[in-house]
Amino acid sequence: MNDMTRPGEVDPPYLYEGYRSTKLRAPSQPLVQVPAGTLDVPFARVGATFVKEGDNDLTVHGKAGTPLGERMVLTGRLLDESGRAIRNSLVEIWQANASGRYHHVGDQHDAPLDPNFHGLGRTMTDDEGRYRFMTVKPGSYPWPNHANAWRPQHIHFSLLGNAPVQRLVTQMYFPGDPLLALDPIYQSIPERARERLLCRLDLDVGIENYALGYQFDIVLAGAKSTPLGI
Amino acid sequence: MPARSPSQTVGPYYAIALPWKDGGRVTGCAGERIVLEGHVLDGAGQPVPDALIETWQAPDRDASPSTDGKPHGFGRIGADASGLYRIETAMPTGEVPYLDVIILARGLLKHLHTRVYFAEEARVRGDAAMKALASSPRLSTLIARKAAEGEYRWDVRLQGEGETVFFAA
Repeated sequence: MNDMTRPGEVDPPYLYEGYRSTKLRAPSQPLVQVPAGTLDVPFARVGATFVKEGDNDLTVHGKAGTPLGERMVLTGRLLDESGRAIRNSLVEIWQANASGRYHHVGDQHDAPLDPNFHGLGRTMTDDEGRYRFMTVKPGSYPWPNHANAWRPQHIHFSLLGNAPVQRLVTQMYFPGDPLLALDPIYQSIPERARERLLCRLDLDVGIENYALGYQFDIVLAGAKSTPLGI
Repeated sequence: MPARSPSQTVGPYYAIALPWKDGGRVTGCAGERIVLEGHVLDGAGQPVPDALIETWQAPDRDASPSTDGKPHGFGRIGADASGLYRIETAMPTGEVPYLDVIILARGLLKHLHTRVYFAEEARVRGDAAMKALASSPRLSTLIARKAAEGEYRWDVRLQGEGETVFFAA
């Protein structure tokens, strides 16, 4: 079981009191150790035809124009723990619109849907491990975890990496968001590692008079046995 | 050295992005066609309709590149409203055939790694990768049940009685 007090632990525990949905879904038995290398066997790669032109621009998927909200360029590098770029690797994101509403049938929050924003993007990293999206800043929204619970603004990320041991699903947050201190999902991360999920304002990667810029690097686990082919 | 990024839950709305077209149909693997079906269940025995299941197996060395770019040997499917998932693939290769499985869901702050075997228990007990479980009664939670020719059942229990074995990554 993940233990927040274990030196160097990065991930949240499975059972986290403040996040109600963990109570019946967290395993109660300790995780079983498997021999080194068991989860290191590389995946088959995603092919070049998987991502289509425009998949990394979430502002052009509407039929009637551009989405509402604060436009932003979001870019960063995908690395492993030894600092090597993870190249030609799939990055998938999804997010709420600027009003805090997901384009999903299960989201009944009384905020407007935006017909010009579906909130999904995908891209492949380049030779430096870099990805780049154009999107809008997502809004905060209430959720039923506890009284008056609101999620901080966030964008979901899914990274395949090159082997099961590198698989990561996470969320990116914005620095200075006052809801971070109150959010059990963010607070479930050991304190030393929380700020790794904050993006960084960098106007130089934005577009003057058009879009703000943010940088967000993501670091996946390294292989436990042999280096993974990259 | 950069520090590893922490995990966060996939949340309830991953279906916006993660399920792929034909994601539950695994390509690039020849051999006996099989269907794997089952429920993901929580600690109260209730189905988890917002679970996402991913499976990995080695594709054929000589498989031609996929036309849509979807990686060979990979299955990704969301459970349906009743918590049922369904993967169509080929019997994995190897002495003791298995699929690597990753489970994601709202309420899981980090995904879970496990395996599903298609072999008799005695052979799974002899698999070197399962050494830590060689004499554990919990090993049986990793074995699919043959329901019919080419059809297998395997439930994932996240918590409590009959809890599936999950691996430390």
